Amino acid sequence: MTVDLDKRLRPGRDYYLALGLEGSANKLGVGIIRHGVGEPGPHNSAQVLSNVRDTYITPPGEGFLPRDTARHHRHWVVRIIKRALADAGVCGRDLDCICFTQGPGMGAPLQSVVIAARTLAQLWNLPLVGVNHCVGHIEMGREITGAQNPVVLYVSGGNTQIIAYSRQRYRIFGETLDIAIGNCLDRFARVLKISNDPAPGYNIEQMAKKGRHLVELPYTVKGMDISMSGILQYVDVLAKDMFSSTPKKNKNLVDQESGELITPEDLCFSLQESLYSMLVEITERAMAHVQSNQVLIVGGVGSNERLQEMMELMVNDRKNGSIHATDERFCIDNGIMIAHAGLLSYRMGQTKELKDTVCTQRFRTDEVWVNWRDD
Amino acid sequence: MVDLTPIAKYRAPDFTNEHEIGVGDGPHTTDGKTTQISDVVIKAGGQDRDRPTEASNSSLGQLRAKLTSLQDNINIFLTERMKYAKEQDSKDIERRILDDGVDEDESD
Repeated sequence: MTVDLDKRLRPGRDYYLALGLEGSANKLGVGIIRHGVGEPGPHNSAQVLSNVRDTYITPPGEGFLPRDTARHHRHWVVRIIKRALADAGVCGRDLDCICFTQGPGMGAPLQSVVIAARTLAQLWNLPLVGVNHCVGHIEMGREITGAQNPVVLYVSGGNTQIIAYSRQRYRIFGETLDIAIGNCLDRFARVLKISNDPAPGYNIEQMAKKGRHLVELPYTVKGMDISMSGILQYVDVLAKDMFSSTPKKNKNLVDQESGELITPEDLCFSLQESLYSMLVEITERAMAHVQSNQVLIVGGVGSNERLQEMMELMVNDRKNGSIHATDERFCIDNGIMIAHAGLLSYRMGQTKELKDTVCTQRFRTDEVWVNWRDD
Repeated sequence: MVDLTPIAKYRAPDFTNEHEIGVGDGPHTTDGKTTQISDVVIKAGGQDRDRPTEASNSSLGQLRAKLTSLQDNINIFLTERMKYAKEQDSKDIERRILDDGVDEDESD
């Protein structure tokens, strides 16, 4: 059976256009995508017409509060939409649908962006498509990298999941039992007063390159799941001792081999090595379960080069293994992934009435019916 | 230019009549009193780069400014309501402790 993705083609046109709005966390993204008529694939790939993003940046040592993040989105959304339309060279009436992130994410920022989506839909008389943020990442990752049926490692500020496709659902094989990996990195950065610009994770990665000593941290893999709060707590104590005006003689802050003091760079290095090793382990197990030899890394943390490198080492040891990752344009939250996944849903007839466009902070990846795939 | 002026209506079980909230006398701007950046962000050294753009002179631009005033008035009204409810609640706890000698919640 082949899926018919062209039930909603406008008369006289051989393509679709969708605008996507993303604002589930501190990034506000607007993107416009074009799909050619027919089944998507290597010879009929989606075209990114525009992909504009603005990030709400907080002072060092501070996380982003829902109220101020929502305020950022509210006050920038019109300007970003105008820029996205100008970059793409299209106007509202050219579009087929308006896609928005329906969840998961932070309530207030999601709410700000859905109001913009509803307004546009009514202004231009277009249907609305609610998109699961995680599915947006997966579909954009597949589109950009060409990975057919990979095991997906979804790592971001709010999510850590190992996902594999089966019978029109993206099934969750393993996930974090407590905090997400990006959240762990962000909070670690706050403890060490690492800058939030451009992103805490990026700055940790740069500092980790200068680290020379590995500090042993808790390693918590439980079956297919992982736990990261213990590591964070452990590092928290170490960091407090490190910055204390009357430092205690913490033996964990001295390298056992060289006798040298542990630096913040060493902590960054150790944190990355420990966390990413755990991710590699559960990803490998998921690959064995579903007999896949492809890995696709998506989500903001997926742009970390050390994670990609460690994953590549594991994948290369497997027969015909291949690893796929995207760059920061598509890895970090963006509007184009919402437009892409939303347009796939729209082409299969999945649209929302205004009353059904309420956002939800909890929206599991496997709740989405992936009816645009039938493999 | 068409004059567009929004109002909000509020109903609650303890309100006998519907309460109407208006935009006030003005002048109206998009820079709302209750929608400023959080103090905690400013105290931590943050800068406000997310100010709204000014309202245009069109009908829709003026509506935007009036909506900001209306939002301010709604926020002030609801904050007072919450403060009042909280006060009533704390008085209630005090009464229960004094009258009954023990808080029911603590006996669980």
